[in-house]
Amino acid sequence: MEAPLKYIFDSIQFLKPEITVSLFLVILVTVDLILGKKNKQILPYISLAGLLITGFFVIQQFETSAFASVQNNIGNFGLIAVDSFGNYFKLIIILSSIFIILFSISSIEIKQAFDRHGEYYSLIFGMILGMMLMVSSVDLILIYLSIELVSLSSYVLAGFTKHSLRNSEASLKYIIYGSAASGIMLFGISILYGIMGTTNIYAINTVLQNGAFQPLALIISCILIFTGFGFKISAAPFHFWTPDVYEGAPIAITAYLSIASKAAGFALLIRFIKITFIQAIGSDGYWQLLEVIDWKSFLIIISIGTMTLGNFAALWQDNLKRMLAYSSIAHAGYMILGLAVFSDQGIMAILIYFMVYLFMNLGAFFVVMLIANRIGSEEIDDYDGLGYKTPLLAVSLGVFLVSLTGLPPTAGFIGKLYLFIALVDAKMIVVAIIALLNTVVSLYYYVRVLKHMFLAKPKSEEGKIAIGYADTVVLMALLIPVFVFGLYFTPIVNLAKNSIALLGF
Amino acid sequence: MDLITLSVIILFIPLLGFILTLFAGMKFKWAFLIENVLIVLGFILSVVLLYTKLSGYLDENIVSEFNWINFGVVPFFGEIIVKLGIKLDNVAVIMNFTVFLISMVVHLFSIDYMKGDKRYNRYFAYLGIFTFSMTGIVFTHNVLMMYIFWELVGLSSYLLIGFWFEKKSASDASKKAFIVNRIGDLGMFAGILMLFVTYKTFSFQEIFNAIGAGQLPFNSEFWLTITGLLLFCGAIGKSAQFPLHVWLPDAMEGPTPVSALIHAATMVAAGVYFIVRIFPILTGDALLVIGIIGAISAFIPATIALTQNDIKRVLAYSTVSQLGYMIMALGIGAYVFAFFHLITHAFFKACLFLGSGSVIHSMHHEQDIQKMGGLRKKMPVTYATFLLATLALSGIPLTSGFLSKDGILAGTLAYTSLTGNWFFTFIGFTVAALTAFYMFRLVILTFHGEPKNKEKYDHAHESPFLMIMPLILLSGLSIFIWYTPNPFNADSGWVLSKWVKAPTIVTPESARYSFMVEEPKEGSINNHEEVTFSHEYTHAMHSAHVPTIFLSGFVAGLGILFALLFYQWKKLDADKLAAKIKPLYNLSYNKWYFDEFYNTVFVGGTLAFSNFLRWFDNTIIDGIVNGSAALTRGLSKVSGRFDSSVVDGLVNFMAYFSGFIGLFIRKLQTGKVQTYIVLVIFSLLILLFLFKSF
Repeated sequence: MEAPLKYIFDSIQFLKPEITVSLFLVILVTVDLILGKKNKQILPYISLAGLLITGFFVIQQFETSAFASVQNNIGNFGLIAVDSFGNYFKLIIILSSIFIILFSISSIEIKQAFDRHGEYYSLIFGMILGMMLMVSSVDLILIYLSIELVSLSSYVLAGFTKHSLRNSEASLKYIIYGSAASGIMLFGISILYGIMGTTNIYAINTVLQNGAFQPLALIISCILIFTGFGFKISAAPFHFWTPDVYEGAPIAITAYLSIASKAAGFALLIRFIKITFIQAIGSDGYWQLLEVIDWKSFLIIISIGTMTLGNFAALWQDNLKRMLAYSSIAHAGYMILGLAVFSDQGIMAILIYFMVYLFMNLGAFFVVMLIANRIGSEEIDDYDGLGYKTPLLAVSLGVFLVSLTGLPPTAGFIGKLYLFIALVDAKMIVVAIIALLNTVVSLYYYVRVLKHMFLAKPKSEEGKIAIGYADTVVLMALLIPVFVFGLYFTPIVNLAKNSIALLGF
Repeated sequence: MDLITLSVIILFIPLLGFILTLFAGMKFKWAFLIENVLIVLGFILSVVLLYTKLSGYLDENIVSEFNWINFGVVPFFGEIIVKLGIKLDNVAVIMNFTVFLISMVVHLFSIDYMKGDKRYNRYFAYLGIFTFSMTGIVFTHNVLMMYIFWELVGLSSYLLIGFWFEKKSASDASKKAFIVNRIGDLGMFAGILMLFVTYKTFSFQEIFNAIGAGQLPFNSEFWLTITGLLLFCGAIGKSAQFPLHVWLPDAMEGPTPVSALIHAATMVAAGVYFIVRIFPILTGDALLVIGIIGAISAFIPATIALTQNDIKRVLAYSTVSQLGYMIMALGIGAYVFAFFHLITHAFFKACLFLGSGSVIHSMHHEQDIQKMGGLRKKMPVTYATFLLATLALSGIPLTSGFLSKDGILAGTLAYTSLTGNWFFTFIGFTVAALTAFYMFRLVILTFHGEPKNKEKYDHAHESPFLMIMPLILLSGLSIFIWYTPNPFNADSGWVLSKWVKAPTIVTPESARYSFMVEEPKEGSINNHEEVTFSHEYTHAMHSAHVPTIFLSGFVAGLGILFALLFYQWKKLDADKLAAKIKPLYNLSYNKWYFDEFYNTVFVGGTLAFSNFLRWFDNTIIDGIVNGSAALTRGLSKVSGRFDSSVVDGLVNFMAYFSGFIGLFIRKLQTGKVQTYIVLVIFSLLILLFLFKSF
């Protein structure tokens, strides 16, 4: 068999999840065309089925560790690395996609654009494909392409409800900002390629180990590339798009961007830094990086800037979506600290944090969406007295917010606890204290919502807000894990512990 | 199904009942049926568990555990792995059976007793969460879970005592119970932390093994004693031992079936059960302290019960006294008899409480025994069962109470012959006499003689079937035949010869009682001797056995005789005697002035201290303040100048500056995407500049 063809066929066994997603992308488009204008409510269920199958394949290959799409001209490195680390993030992406599709079913905003449902779900699948490639690609070209695939899909999704001015503005800002960021990143990639002569990060690592390169150009290229990652995980100072886009986009999409796209960005950032710059891993789990760039200081500065800015800006927000946008910036800040530790323990902390963050953040957005469905507003003043009108929703939102703050007995506490343990273990006490103080600040704006819901008198005398049976089930699916993982978190910890291995390291 | 799964199901059935009944109870009137059906189901499963364990796995300890928290290696401490789990030994399954049996009959009893209450369903939900918490205590294999369920039991007790919280006395009693318990729990928590810091584990078995291997807290036997006593503090609170016994009589403000379930049979026995669990780590010194506390708690309430007139309070003081008996028995090493007495006492005391509930129910909430009398004709079944349980409590032969009490008294005699210490023997027999006296006083005043309140007497009636049935069941369990074929020797019965055995002591030999040092050898002992620690102790027990039977029969008979002389035949006049020994009578009638003492010393002390603080504040502090005010006035003129020009200038500048920064930050998020991109480029340049030098 011809060599290129052989590589393709050899890779199929490792790419089943991605192939399934692509297949369902096509199915969704086709079914949409066949159905015409009617019966579109079947589309979300097809999507769910697709996600379940994909999830099955991911779990099936969870322990695999191999290259797919091998190019033997550069020492048998492939374009894609299949490993448990990537698979963990794929699971997070699939899990959050399932929830987002469930959200979309009950979202009024999405329902209003009923005739374009086909586009909506196929765009989501496009995004999923892009994100799954992001978490596993090890070649700069593929990295760039997958980021672009995710970005392009999310630009459209952010402006999905065309008639709303706020939506279109968000989408347009997102596109302009995103293009600039990706342009800068591409520039950095081209410089890096110019120095190294290869685009595969494993091969770059080999070159770096040999030590023949121009340091200034390397630093410039890496910082430029970081712009692209920073844009995806909304780290300061690349976060500017986040509040505007989160506020403008449909809530379901906002929630999606805050979890899945951020998770993919983090996976990519961790993989890029670890694989490219690693020298060795000590027996205690600490990494020795090549001394070419002071990544540690760099990440600490970025992280402290990100969490401080996110928390302080969130203090003054009166729109809940915007507040949650800033809060998600702050959370990205905490998680960058987990990477800055440069140890397996830190990575484990990030993995745990993401799993926990998935439930609590999606939960908060879900409640905000359900309330917005009924009262048509996300302003904090309109939440006055909500605790009496709809106790279940208000209490759930309270639990999610308390969990986001990181108080026991909720899962959020566990996420933060492991993060701080990793920091203290690495003797980064000062940084840990700064992060802790940031948490204190965050308590203020989270609890402010509780104050409005439970202590303020309702402005209007409207009756109770009832929620549907299906919505209650989804809510419970998010709420129960927040409690259960707060009390019995060994399963997540074990899963995360088994998932810290990147291919080769 | 294996036993562990079965026990987990048994554990969670009452919790399920709690949740379902609580939420369904808001909408449906019949929600209490859920709880009742589930508790009967739980009881049936408990019987299955008991039977399977005792028939198939008699000598095995079935343990199952899982990692609850695994922090791995933590900086500054070492490895932290917290395991939760279940340990099924004979003690646990027997105790579980007892809890479920009594819980079930109390549920059934309450269906009629609580009828018409406005929070009917909630009452049953509370019973459910109590049963859940109690089962957790019984099954746990580690001391942390014990503590968690311990607090849950405290919570459910609080909820149930204050169930009629509109009554001020009830809500006060629930607060008192909760706070007094917290004092004991504080010590227990400290003890648990000592164990965890030393052994890095909460599991009973692992702690025992570590101590057996010679590892001690701070490497000293003294600290092991302290740890044991700290843990015992928890039992002092929960089992209402001296000096924290004051909450239990007040807890009688709760509904009477609750008193039967929680404050007689199960929860208050949790303290004894806890000591049974940690018995192997208690040193001789610790046991001696425990024994003395138990003896005091057995004696004082017994004297108080002599003069009380509230039917439930007499029973409450009797409960404290009997719990003290068990604790004392543990303290002198009569481990098996302590546990045996725990079980037999649970049955007949629950019967007595439910019987008193039946009386109170038919007398329209009259609780004063001086206003009762003659009820035996109106309520024959209640009378018969009450009498039978009273005989058991007094320790009359052919009852279960005789078997267990006799064992404890023989234990005190054996202890005396081994150590020469007469204290426990004296207390043991005195309390036995007092118990017989006050119980018969109660029976005679309530059921015999002429009715004192004619109107209420005429309305009295026998209780309905659902209230009678539990009484018959429980009084039936007060007969010896369920425990041993020989009514005079409990050792030959299956409970003591096969099911419950003294554990292996793990404390260092130098720290034990001398008679516990020699381990019983495997095989060389026949069944009759396995209730004990060493040959020496066995012989002492045997030679104490026969004298005890006669002696205890004699003192109990004496107590009953005096009760009859005073109240039935009126040969002696109780009032005259009371007048003659007025100070002693007052001491007993006023409960040894414990509440007054605590009120004066602790509550009053706190108040006095805060009054002192107020005085201190008013005179000294204010004086200083006033004095300095004059000084300040002078200074202020100077500083005023400084303030208005320099400080204000600075503050204003800061405010202006912060405002400027705020403005700047807000300017950053302009909403204009062009600005954002410029900012990104700008910050990129800064980053490049920062890191270029590396």
